[in-house]
Amino acid sequence: MRIETVWLGRGGQGIVTATYIIANAAILDGFYAMANPEFGAERRGAPVKAFLTISKEPFDDQEPVKTPDVVVVFDDKLIEPMRFAIDAAKPGGYVIVNTAKKPEEVKRLVGRNDVYLVVLDAIDIARRHVKLDVPNGPLAGAFAKVMGFPRLESIRQAFENQLGKAVEENFAATKEAYETAVVIPPERVDPTAKPRGIISTTSAFLTGPYELVGWAEVNKAGAVYPGTSLPYTTGGWRIDKPVIDHSKCIMCRKCWLYCPDDAVIEAWKEIEGPRGRKIRMKAIEFDYNYCKGCGICADVCPTGAIQMVREI
Amino acid sequence: MTAQVLAPKERKVAQRRIALTGNHAVALAVKMCRPEVIAAYPITPQTPVVERLAEYVNNGELDAEYIPVESEHSAMSAVIGASAMGARTFTETASQGLGHMYENLPIAVGLRLPIVMGMAVRTYSAPINVWGDYSDVMSMRELGWIIYLTQTAQEAFDTVIQAYRVAEDSRVHLPVVVAYDGFWTSHVLQPLEVPEDEEEVMRFAPITRSWVKLDVDRPVSIGAVGTPEWYWEIRWQAVEALRGSIKVIEEVDEEFGKVFGRSYGLAVPYRLENAELAIVTYGSIFGLVKKAVDRLRAEGVRAGALRLRVIRPWPRDLLRKLLGHVDKVVVIDRAINHGGPLYGPMAVELEATLARPVYNVLATVGMRAIDTDMIYEGALKAYRGQWVPDEVYTIGLRGGP
Ligand code: SF4
Ligand code: SF4
Repeated sequence: MRIETVWLGRGGQGIVTATYIIANAAILDGFYAMANPEFGAERRGAPVKAFLTISKEPFDDQEPVKTPDVVVVFDDKLIEPMRFAIDAAKPGGYVIVNTAKKPEEVKRLVGRNDVYLVVLDAIDIARRHVKLDVPNGPLAGAFAKVMGFPRLESIRQAFENQLGKAVEENFAATKEAYETAVVIPPERVDPTAKPRGIISTTSAFLTGPYELVGWAEVNKAGAVYPGTSLPYTTGGWRIDKPVIDHSKCIMCRKCWLYCPDDAVIEAWKEIEGPRGRKIRMKAIEFDYNYCKGCGICADVCPTGAIQMVREI
Repeated sequence: MTAQVLAPKERKVAQRRIALTGNHAVALAVKMCRPEVIAAYPITPQTPVVERLAEYVNNGELDAEYIPVESEHSAMSAVIGASAMGARTFTETASQGLGHMYENLPIAVGLRLPIVMGMAVRTYSAPINVWGDYSDVMSMRELGWIIYLTQTAQEAFDTVIQAYRVAEDSRVHLPVVVAYDGFWTSHVLQPLEVPEDEEEVMRFAPITRSWVKLDVDRPVSIGAVGTPEWYWEIRWQAVEALRGSIKVIEEVDEEFGKVFGRSYGLAVPYRLENAELAIVTYGSIFGLVKKAVDRLRAEGVRAGALRLRVIRPWPRDLLRKLLGHVDKVVVIDRAINHGGPLYGPMAVELEATLARPVYNVLATVGMRAIDTDMIYEGALKAYRGQWVPDEVYTIGLRGGP
């Protein structure tokens, strides 16, 4: 038996820790396991990919996982950009998704009827138990539930070994996920079918957008000429999004002043005034392409006009 | 001393003969190349170079920024920064000083900066030994620098000028080190031909400023991160540039010969025609090697010699051509390749080049003195079969093999 898994998420979500926890627990259970994360830009919010292989037999190859048995997606907004990974899952394998969305909706998003789909709201569980947006404990729990290993007790021990703190909180989150994750079995599995794609060995998709070109066409000396980060729509990193209630806003612009991402904007808005007159006025809006959902605007707003609302 | 190169060439430039030590010859060549930024930290045996350059700047003979840095690490950092701004730069070091600047050496390569560095070679401590052998420069071979090993004050002088021309050529854009023997060249007073009109040097090696540099009119980031998707490709450009630089090095050397009457080639052969034994070495001891060859020839041994001059890029084809027909190749290395397949760094590379065993001999380590007799006797042992290929032998080590 050899189970190959790939974990996709964003920097800061605990992807690496999640694979370490599972690998550590699996090793405690007598398996051979290797968690080999791919380290990229080391930047919060940047896409991250980690491999985790578990086997009954000893192994020493760090083969990049190309057609995984299990794909774990930490953020439902990654389903679309990382569809190649979901397509690469072996028929009869597992796709585990962290989302607040309803299982049927996730099924539609994932678009595969030949894999087990596992749906859980790991953020909600993590927030309640660990008070942080780290969905790794719950995802470890969901993994253990569908795979039948590692044992929960080993996961607790792995938290002890890997984190050495907040063990009970994390373990409570793992356990809740273990008990509540929704599993939708495949409609049909053709065991002879091949996956629809493979995960490429380059990680360009994690740091893009750009085109990979041969050495002779790369900028000499790796020089970087003026460009723009406009295509890097960092809004994708959001877990919560700010939503404004204009009736409470007094246009003090504190949110605009404090937003670290320049994502609070003043937009002209047409409203209907007394006697049906159309009035143009300025109103606070958000540029959701770049708002990272940090919540600072909601924090500083003196009238409570901004609410943070779950998005994934 | 440079008999093999001086006489026959027609020269365009009027020159006069003066006497200088190797260090002061290098300083003079640097001055004539008009670097705009010099940053160096003195270390024996190169100290007179940086002192003389400081004087040139101080007395107005050279219009350069002279940065008296507190260490070699800072020296290399400063010339990297200055070169990235588009300035012609110079630094010089040796031994432990090179070790201290080491982490910056590959950066100059990756950024493709045409820095020229002098090196009065000196062995590495411990024990503390300020004297000359080639341990320091040999430890630069993997980094992507162009490496010249020179024999005389004249050649060091000429090579500094050639180095600027090569480094700044738009086909190259790589840093260059010009090495010469600590003490046996650096502190030996020798005749030196210098152009009457210094401007001739700038005419030969004008500042091209053609490399990737910081420029307010064309903004650019230099030294950005190279993720695994990009690093190798960017580094490969430097690999290809170094490979291709061999042509430029030859071209520049030839043209230097036309203008100044002296050229050296990538490697310097001596009486190799029909040779059955060749002594290969580098640096100042080549004069002794040639005398040993003459003596062997006089006694009927068909001996010859070869001096390695450019070792990065490695002139593989030329060495095969010059040594391919020679039965016994005796490589006298002047640095120890500790624990390596052969104990001499150049012996390893020649063996790989010729695809057959060579005689592996170490000499002058820590500047142990050597003379023609010792070289002659060693060569004779190889000739008579008392020495065998692929074993390590020493000339001058008490109790050594
Ligand atoms: S949540 Fe953060 S990034 Fe988004 S608009 Fe508010 S302050 Fe700006
Ligand atoms: S801080 Fe609140 S009240 Fe002030 S402008 Fe922003 S949303 Fe309006």
